[in-house]
Amino acid sequence: MSIVSVEHVSKDYMLGKTVVPALRDVSLAVGKGEFLSIAGPSGSGKTTLLNLVGCVDTPTAGRVIVAGQDTARLSERALTELRLRTIGFIFQSFNLVSVLSVFQNVEFPLLLQGGQTRKERAERVLALLDAVGIAEHARHRPSELSGGQRQRVAIARALVTRPALVLADEPTANLDSETGGNIIDLMKEMNRRDGTTFIFSTHDPKVMAHASALVRIEDGRIASREDLDAARLAGGR
Amino acid sequence: MIGVDLMIAGRNLARHTRRNLFLGGALAAVTALLVLLGALTAGMESAMMQSATTLMTGHVNVGGFFKITSGSAAPLVSQYPRVLETVRARVPEVDYVTVRGRGWAKAVSEHVSMDLVLAGVDVAHEPTFRKVLHVVEGDLEALSQPGTVLLFEGQAERLKVKVNDVLTLSAPTARGVNNTADVRVAAIARNVGLLSAFSAFIQADTLRQLYGLSPATTGAIHLYLRDPKDAPRVAARLRTALAEAGYRVMEPEAQPYWMKLMQTVPSEDWTGQKLDVTTADDEMGQFKQFILALRVVTGLLVVILMVVVVIGILNTLAIAIRERTREIGALRAIGMQRRKVLWLFVLETALLGLLGTGAGVAVALAVAGAVNAAGIALPEAVQVFLAQERLRFLLDPGAIATDALVLAAVAVLAAVFPARRAARLKPVTAMHHVG
Repeated sequence: MSIVSVEHVSKDYMLGKTVVPALRDVSLAVGKGEFLSIAGPSGSGKTTLLNLVGCVDTPTAGRVIVAGQDTARLSERALTELRLRTIGFIFQSFNLVSVLSVFQNVEFPLLLQGGQTRKERAERVLALLDAVGIAEHARHRPSELSGGQRQRVAIARALVTRPALVLADEPTANLDSETGGNIIDLMKEMNRRDGTTFIFSTHDPKVMAHASALVRIEDGRIASREDLDAARLAGGR
Repeated sequence: MIGVDLMIAGRNLARHTRRNLFLGGALAAVTALLVLLGALTAGMESAMMQSATTLMTGHVNVGGFFKITSGSAAPLVSQYPRVLETVRARVPEVDYVTVRGRGWAKAVSEHVSMDLVLAGVDVAHEPTFRKVLHVVEGDLEALSQPGTVLLFEGQAERLKVKVNDVLTLSAPTARGVNNTADVRVAAIARNVGLLSAFSAFIQADTLRQLYGLSPATTGAIHLYLRDPKDAPRVAARLRTALAEAGYRVMEPEAQPYWMKLMQTVPSEDWTGQKLDVTTADDEMGQFKQFILALRVVTGLLVVILMVVVVIGILNTLAIAIRERTREIGALRAIGMQRRKVLWLFVLETALLGLLGTGAGVAVALAVAGAVNAAGIALPEAVQVFLAQERLRFLLDPGAIATDALVLAAVAVLAAVFPARRAARLKPVTAMHHVG
């Protein structure tokens, strides 16, 4: 069963008076529990596709269905609510709230959701910080952390609401290869442990290798889709 | 959640210390100025009303004019005991009543002369007289003796007289002839602002003699109420009651009696007795206008300064929003609603507004307290203008709180427009903002 269904989606941007097509008639289905990588060169449309799936942008044509909801039919408020409860975001440049501590950054989506006691929130946040290996920095501000540590905080923030889907836009682009590898391992572990669906974009072949499925985009079109797990299984046989 | 919101707002303010100190400082300066100007005006108004309601007017007055011919007028209430009886019966709110003669006369000393507005008083029945007047020479009790006058320092200086010197008062009687009386200076009191420039007090019977009046005639009945705010209601009731009792009562007009005596009443076509019921505000109309004008000037000044502060807030928030656009985009992406973004920016400005106005109030209280404690004497010309001898700020907690809250509210309102702009940013646009 698909958690994300992209159907004949196109997205055009206006550059002055010129129409620049970012995506052209893209269709894609992502099943629950997948660890899907979107690969392609810069400007190929990876981020645009993630933005549309993440409901932070709207398509020029076509439909985007997330968790069974046609996003075109949702109000701005309902889209925000969908993002809050169903989707977790990991950004290339972390985008943590600089004036909050690590703990508070991770706790923030839970506060936006409401409904949990202080104790419940604290337990969930501390467990996640522990899981991403950053519990000892809970009181630190983001500016006091390294890039890899900040991205771990971002992962914890994305997962704290237990979303069905996590979107990561080039999560390792600002990290050295070793740290990047650790981050992907961490995401993979969360995918395995909780069954959370991950869709991440990258143009790093080492990162792509960790994915269960790989979608290649070129010039705004899906060039290929490979089931890497199946290939691994076949290779192992 | 409010705790985290406040933390974000507070830390964002602290992140740009210099910028926010400048803006908060400007807000504090405007607040301090508004509070101090308000306190100075209130101090003047209080001093003026306190001295006026003792020296010139009650909270409510039943005065009147007697006209032998239509072109003449004298400030008289004839058969006042009967009027007083009606007044007492219809005003249960009254605290105490005084009866005073009214008139004006030319005071002539050996060296010089000047016009004086005279009040004929019976000091034994004037309970607040002593509280307002500070006798610097002579004895207030001596004013109970016939043929005595109390002058203020400025008048005594101008007439070049001291206690026990004799003045000649010359005044026109109701019958249109001039009468004179020699009066001894019984006491000289410290100036109490503008009123003491032209008001003087003589013993009540002496005033009657000067004007050739009977003992049943007086100038006005002053009513002092337990709550001065009741004055307009009591005045309206008295007009009706006196009219029902058969007196001719003048239409209410917010003018001091001496202006009516000089201008309005002589031009009216009637003769005989008419009663005139006024409030302290009516009698002090011109002073009130002066205070109002002062408040308008103060208000304009504050509005101009607030425009500067509002522009500062708009600029500061525009910069803050530009700096935090990516953060706003990320927060919107992770599920923050638009109204929450709006709230965070408004809260930040509200916090700055409250801190700024709070600091301004603290500065104003310190300055006002220090000035009041120092008892800074004002030059005489300024004394007349400000209606007080020493620079005095009257601090009214309610007015100060209102000033501070209004200024903080203006700051918050100024923040709404840029905050709305921040809230309306599309997450995708905000996240990819470069700047």
